[in-house]
Amino acid sequence: MTTVSYDDLVAAATVGLSHRPLRVTGLTGAAGEHAGALDCGDQAAALLDAAALMVAARRAGARAAAGVACPLPAAEDTAAELPARAADLLEQARLADPALLASLLATTASLGYRAPAPLLPVLLDTAVKDRALRVPVAAVLGARGRWLAGYRGDWQQVAGVAVPGTAGPGTAGPDTSGPGAGGPAAAADNPAIWETGRRAERRGYLAALRARDPAAARDLLAAGWSQETGDDRADLLGVLAPGLSADDEEFLETVLDDRKASARAAARRLLARLPGSAFTRRAAQRATPLLRLEHHGRRPRLVATRPDRADAAAIRDGITARPPTAAIGPGAWLLTQMISAAPLAGWVRCLGLDPGQLVSLPVAGDLRVDVHAGWRLAAIDQASSPWAEALLAVPEPGQAVQRPPDAWPRDFQVAAVLSPPARAARAAALLATAAAMPNALTEVRSCPEPWPDSLAEAVIAALRRTVTSAARLGTAVTRAGWPEELASAAGRSLPATGPADYAAALARLAHVDKCPPHWSLALHHGAATIAVRRAFLEEIR
Amino acid sequence: MLALAPDASSRRAAAGLASPSSWTGAGAVGDLVWGLCAGSGKDPYQTVVDAAGPSYRCSCPSRKFPCKHVLALLLAWANGTVPEQDGPSDYAHAWEAGRAAAASRRTAAAQRRAAGGRDDGGAARRAGQRARRVSAGLADLQTWLRDQVQAGLSDAAAGGYRHAEAIAARMVDAQAAGLASALRRLSAIPASGDGWPGRLLDEYAQLHLLARAHDRLTELPHGLEAVVRSRVGYTTSREEVLASPAVTDRWQVLAARDVLDGPVPARRVWLRGRDTGRFALLLSFAAWGNFGGNPDAVLAPGTELHADVHYYPGQPPVRAVTGARHGAAAGPRPDGARDAAAMLADWAAALAQDPWLTEWPALLAGTPGAAGGRWHLVDSSGAALPLLGQESLWPLLAISGGHPVTVAGEWSPAGLTALTAWHGDRAVSLVSVSPDSAPPGPAVPR
Repeated sequence: MTTVSYDDLVAAATVGLSHRPLRVTGLTGAAGEHAGALDCGDQAAALLDAAALMVAARRAGARAAAGVACPLPAAEDTAAELPARAADLLEQARLADPALLASLLATTASLGYRAPAPLLPVLLDTAVKDRALRVPVAAVLGARGRWLAGYRGDWQQVAGVAVPGTAGPGTAGPDTSGPGAGGPAAAADNPAIWETGRRAERRGYLAALRARDPAAARDLLAAGWSQETGDDRADLLGVLAPGLSADDEEFLETVLDDRKASARAAARRLLARLPGSAFTRRAAQRATPLLRLEHHGRRPRLVATRPDRADAAAIRDGITARPPTAAIGPGAWLLTQMISAAPLAGWVRCLGLDPGQLVSLPVAGDLRVDVHAGWRLAAIDQASSPWAEALLAVPEPGQAVQRPPDAWPRDFQVAAVLSPPARAARAAALLATAAAMPNALTEVRSCPEPWPDSLAEAVIAALRRTVTSAARLGTAVTRAGWPEELASAAGRSLPATGPADYAAALARLAHVDKCPPHWSLALHHGAATIAVRRAFLEEIR
Repeated sequence: MLALAPDASSRRAAAGLASPSSWTGAGAVGDLVWGLCAGSGKDPYQTVVDAAGPSYRCSCPSRKFPCKHVLALLLAWANGTVPEQDGPSDYAHAWEAGRAAAASRRTAAAQRRAAGGRDDGGAARRAGQRARRVSAGLADLQTWLRDQVQAGLSDAAAGGYRHAEAIAARMVDAQAAGLASALRRLSAIPASGDGWPGRLLDEYAQLHLLARAHDRLTELPHGLEAVVRSRVGYTTSREEVLASPAVTDRWQVLAARDVLDGPVPARRVWLRGRDTGRFALLLSFAAWGNFGGNPDAVLAPGTELHADVHYYPGQPPVRAVTGARHGAAAGPRPDGARDAAAMLADWAAALAQDPWLTEWPALLAGTPGAAGGRWHLVDSSGAALPLLGQESLWPLLAISGGHPVTVAGEWSPAGLTALTAWHGDRAVSLVSVSPDSAPPGPAVPR
């Protein structure tokens, strides 16, 4: 009597009974009691009979596993989930229009809602692929979403981004409970992550620590500094930006001597944000003697000095000797850089004039472009709205046109640091000038929402002018791409609620006689987008 | 009326064609409506609708059923713009007569079947002929299976991807379509990685068991005989199923799953009766994956259907069709979720009745948890069932948040495929089901 297991049957069948005969008469396990049913006349039939019995026994005998740990539950969310109908609109927008999705997500976060749990995986996936959506998605994750993102490295890139207007990155905060030991993933407050995690995970851990205890985070980074790779040093240093204080200065000064250029640059950016640091004092000392006020007759003018060379200390502080283009002389480039590194407030103090007066002064020699380039760079770095406003109000020097953006920031880059009302007013004024239209489009698109009515009216007026002139002039003007882009920007950003019905305004423009069909389509689409945003707001208000 | 439309574009097109000016010679007698509609072809399309069915015919080449002409004609009729006539037009009359003849043939056939045995000679001869063909085919299959085991399964791997093609073709000749498709499915096993001989022997053993059972078909209990016949490939017509006694209940739609890897796309919709606690499987097939025309295929998880359900013959009764419907509404979260042990006990009992079962409905309460890189659904007693499919895992985990959830899905020997989870009282499909209508386009305001 031969009692066989299923593995014996498989082994015999694989080789073939003609090569390895097997007489099956008994079976292991539950199938054994039915061994009498085996075909005795034919070895192959008996093997198949035996296999059939054992397959049935195995399938019917399926048992549940034991000892699988459930994860630690996610923390309770304080924010409410988006209502179901609003969630449907969100999902439609996700499939159809990423920009509209970003807008609806921003609305969701600003009204204190979070994304519904079933949508979290697709939203995280979308934000992994589309970087522009990372901040809007991170803002609506809630405790549940951050808990979920802990299970996937790619999702942590999304959950770990800093959300403006909150204490720190999405992973921070005492409400974050990590997945339990059973999960394959990482908790933001698990110190082992700092030792063994991927860069994004370590960054998340450090950011969480920085939010809880800024000094501990800095000391942790400083302690292992020499063991980090150059890229890690540059990346992790950025985590110190939230909670930056004078206590960090000593460590950051040492980083100015780092081997990695991008780490040095990151340290300089942080030091420049510390008022009264030795770094900013050195920059001011270098810059102050380069500009003086001269009363030449009745009109004052600025006299600028081109430095001959940069000393070792200046180079350590980030001054480069080599101009970005050959058109800029070495001395002129040093002048621009030293002005750009110095605190703007220093000029007002030592020259006794306000920004508007300073930028209107004539500059001796041919140096106006070099001085203004320095101020423009400084206005952007120091996010100074009054200086940006003053610099944009004066005519651009002729030589500026040939300069690359890092030697002459473009108007829209300077405009980005304007206060929201000033930015909207500037964009509205640009829209009124037909020649500036492509530039205007860039600036209009980057105006923060909600757009004030003055800007909204200017957008509608510009579109109306264009549509009516196209009807008059024919195809020559209808090739321009910007009206379509302005119409879709209008759909995303025009106020969706309030006294003025901008959806209707766009739809009316689409129906203007002889409106070119592609513009008409874009205008209808814009109107539909506003209507979706309005419906979304009605669902959650 | 527009609910009949297969998709949104048909609805729009139909609304555009519903004005009286689109139609010539339109008329109606009772519920029979007809008309000619000019289309892109040389002759106008002939459209006839029996609004009582509704059933319809249109001479247009559209592959959508019903087409926009049928919908438009019905709309126009509902709007009262189709004049009542004394008698139907020629083409309407011809269609009506053809339908009546077909119906009487069906009725007569059903009566003959119902009468049992007292078939007229022709049908009995045909049935006997088929039985002989199937038996001969199954004898060949048994020989082939024994030959595989004699020669060795490793020969199958050497025989390449289509090693079972010849015997599958033989099964088609033998009118054993169920066996033919089972054989075609197993041709992929030798290329499926480590352990394939074991998996191939599993399938051979199951086929061998089926062939042996068929040898003794007349000795088998009635229910098992029906199982064997359907697994071999004898089909039961929808009309016959609808003639069987109905189970009336408030049927909760638990889950829907598309099976697109077969020769014809199929959709499985799982129901559970709130009062009887019985499961039912609505299986639909659709060429081109368009399920829109089948009322059993478009049921959405989370809804509840008050209806008569008729089970196919066989045991345990699972596959079914819906008959008379008495109403539909959004349903609550189903109660009656089981633990793993109870579901596995049901599965074992079901296998005792049908050892060839490949999946079984599961309505469970549990929490997803991971062990050894594999995700499981863990019930309150700690019993864990392995979860299959990455697609459904992440939404399930998101909905759970580490807390127990109600999950509906399919159990198979390899593990549990979660198909629906309840987020509060809202049913969420965890797998994508191909859309029945046009995919969501740009968001459109209400």
